[in-house]
Amino acid sequence: MRIYEVFLKRAGKEEFRHAGSLEAATAELAVVLARENYARRGEGEEMWLVDRTDIVAVEAEFIAPNMDKPHRHNDGALVAARRKKKRAGS
Amino acid sequence: MSTIDPAVREFLLAFADDEHLMGQRHTEWIGVAPFLEEDMAFASIGQDELGHAALLYEVVSDDIDELALHRLPQDYRSCWLVEEPCTDWADALIRHWLYDTAEVLRWESLVSSSLSDLGDIARRALREEAFHIRHANALLDALLGSGEAQARLLTSLDRLFPLAAGLFEAPAGESAALEGGVSASPMQSLLSPWRQAVDDRFGERDWTKVDPPDQQQRRMRSEHFELMYASMREVILLDPTAVW
Repeated sequence: MRIYEVFLKRAGKEEFRHAGSLEAATAELAVVLARENYARRGEGEEMWLVDRTDIVAVEAEFIAPNMDKPHRHNDGALVAARRKKKRAGS
Repeated sequence: MSTIDPAVREFLLAFADDEHLMGQRHTEWIGVAPFLEEDMAFASIGQDELGHAALLYEVVSDDIDELALHRLPQDYRSCWLVEEPCTDWADALIRHWLYDTAEVLRWESLVSSSLSDLGDIARRALREEAFHIRHANALLDALLGSGEAQARLLTSLDRLFPLAAGLFEAPAGESAALEGGVSASPMQSLLSPWRQAVDDRFGERDWTKVDPPDQQQRRMRSEHFELMYASMREVILLDPTAVW
């Protein structure tokens, strides 16, 4: 048995999204089982199945940034606060 | 609806009852199918068959509960294949393939029906049957290659063949259905393409040795019907007047 990750895409511009996973003996079985388990209520109009062993997975430690770089986390709050203060002062 | 020819009604009930009982039998696997994903898929297929039954019952009556659950056993027109208990997964899978392969042929003979609702229902059902067949084939492709699974499946095939061939016995009312253009093909004429499909799938077989039961134009129930009938009606008999 192999594990397949199931991705679904709705009509329109929305991207493919991960819907879940399933276990199946063959790719064709994964197709028919994914249809009934994940798309029988019309949850998507396109489907991708990816054998989990084909996924390039990256270690969490490698992905984690150093959190001491506030300049990479500009959410505009400082600028907004400064502008608010300026408006109040004028 | 009530103006439908009584003989045509009989003919359509044979198909409706097959679909109803096939759906019932499939859904007996809820919770006990061989693996979780198949549990969901097989129940969903059973639900499709129940849906087909409901659509067919609606063609002949406004009261589908009455037809589905409150007739006397002798008034059902199901074939013995769908009445058969299949408590072994090999049996259930083989029946799924045999039944759905026949079902496609039956719907195809209704696509141009003189009853326009029926043509629409047939086209809708055929879209679902394409999936059902693909599902059955995917499982068989995976299982027929391995020794034990193959042996068990072929044993089931031998056991279920006569009953499956019995599906093609002309049901009561068939000649009226053909004359009125309700159906395009006699059931017996579907036997040959079905046999071909069976041979293509499982290898050639000596069909002269397959002896289907005499179901008396679907008027006879098999020995297994009574228990199934009781089980189907268990809930509704708690309160036959309940509104769903």
